[in-house]
Amino acid sequence: MKPIRFTVNGSPREVNCHPSKTLLDVLREDLNLTASKECCGKGECGSCSILVDKEVICSCLVLAGQAEGMDITTCEGVGLTANMDIVQEAFVSEGATQCGYCTPGLIVSSRAFLNSIEHIPSVSEIKTALGGNLCRCTGYAKIIRAVETAAKHQLENKGKLSLR
Amino acid sequence: MLVSEIDVISPLDLDECLTILSREGIQHRLLAGGTDAVVRMKDGKWRPNVWINVKGLNELRYIVKKDGAIHIGPLTTHSDIIRSQLLQTQADVLVEAAREVGATQMQNMGTIGGNIGTASPAGDTIPALFVLGAVLEIRSCNNKRLVPIEEFFIGPGKTVLRQNEMITNIIIQPQEKNEIGIFQKLGPRKAQSISIVNVAVNLIMGENNRQCLGGKIAFGAVAPTIIRAKKCESMLKIAPITDDMIENISKVAWKEVMPITDVRASASYRRDMASALLHRGLYRLMRRWESYES
Ligand SMILES: Cc1cc2nc3c(=O)[nH]c(=O)nc-3n(C[C@H](O)[C@H](O)[C@H](O)COP(=O)(O)OP(=O)(O)OC[C@H]3O[C@@H](n4cnc5c(N)ncnc54)[C@H](O)[C@@H]3O)c2cc1C
Ligand code: FES
Ligand code: FES
Repeated sequence: MKPIRFTVNGSPREVNCHPSKTLLDVLREDLNLTASKECCGKGECGSCSILVDKEVICSCLVLAGQAEGMDITTCEGVGLTANMDIVQEAFVSEGATQCGYCTPGLIVSSRAFLNSIEHIPSVSEIKTALGGNLCRCTGYAKIIRAVETAAKHQLENKGKLSLR
Repeated sequence: MLVSEIDVISPLDLDECLTILSREGIQHRLLAGGTDAVVRMKDGKWRPNVWINVKGLNELRYIVKKDGAIHIGPLTTHSDIIRSQLLQTQADVLVEAAREVGATQMQNMGTIGGNIGTASPAGDTIPALFVLGAVLEIRSCNNKRLVPIEEFFIGPGKTVLRQNEMITNIIIQPQEKNEIGIFQKLGPRKAQSISIVNVAVNLIMGENNRQCLGGKIAFGAVAPTIIRAKKCESMLKIAPITDDMIENISKVAWKEVMPITDVRASASYRRDMASALLHRGLYRLMRRWESYES
């Protein structure tokens, strides 16, 4: 067991665990942040996606011992029911979720993607950005629409801000 | 060894890392982005006593031009490569290869040093490094040596690296204005897939229409290690690379590769696809070259 300190969703946290435990398990078991899901456990499906220093990565392939000092954002940090992010609102309004298992990972990936652009993305750009997230239910069409909608709202909000 | 018994140590700088690597009696393995290492740990294939976590060694994460060569730190991620202006203009084939690795998450996590270190015959950046004439700087606590990438791999997962050594720099030759490269890959699907066959090409073009002064072609996943297709290369200079010539070169590729049958594809399918990928690659490369020129 080793103490490991990092920042999660803006708050400093410390856990005691064996250093080869995956960051995904630490988030879920030691910090009770259960939005991130385990599905494949090997980097293929993206259901465990989180942001580290604003880049999307798979938490199932990071070891706790590597997380020392990291700045982590999980889906909970993107937004909760009371303060939903525009990506989350768009997933709801477009009906881009069914069983919901892939949804937190997709929201995190979409947020990272939208942070990196300042235009309405093409379908092929969205597909490339979300290529690491699998969904077995929706058929992706609504997910892609949700990202387009969120991108529009993001631009509108920015436009409003610049008017003020 | 149980996963719960494996320690992770994070050296603060390269010197400390090399000192830890030189310790005898403990079984250790470097851990960079973890995209190969952690998967293999879970599968039970790699269970060292200690992971040496180098992910935080920012001194090994850089892309710089120095003395006419491009130096790439082993901890440079695939995303770093894709974003690099320098590589986009002077090592286009490497940027194309990095774009084909996994998907966004894997590109953000995976490093070029890890791609080389895993020594998979299907590793996507390796053929690109072959055609750019990469040389690896390898260091241990008290030694430094340079190994051309073509001499680095011995077989699948096997390299000339010793237990106390690590890759500390990757040196490539920048492309001149008349050089142009391409990377082509066939996988089971577009994102996130291991290459069934891949090929990297770098050509030096002459002044006349489609005249080629020479070039390198390297195939992945058609032999125990990445291979140069030297017979195909020797044909590049014979005559202008017309569509007919491309047809002929790719026929030679069919004979030159030596693939095996495995879970991903049969040998004969790989042979056909190696030929087809080179055909498509050269065709696209010539179109691109002509569009630059006009
Ligand atoms: C879902 C998924 C999809 C993938 N898709 C692709 C793909 O399309 N194409 C492809 O080529 N690969 C692919 N990979 C494999 C992997 O992502 C790449 O090989 C990646 O570049 C490995 O880098 P890493 O930093 O994660 O290495 P790690 O897993 O940390 O390490 C890999 C090996 O390299 C050694 N190593 C690391 N750094 C050094 C160093 N500086 N010196 C010496 N040895 C070192 C380690 O000890 C270890 O043995 C995929 C992996 C996953 C999980
Ligand atoms: S659980 Fe991490 S990518 Fe599938
Ligand atoms: S909604 Fe069920 S997996 Fe995506």
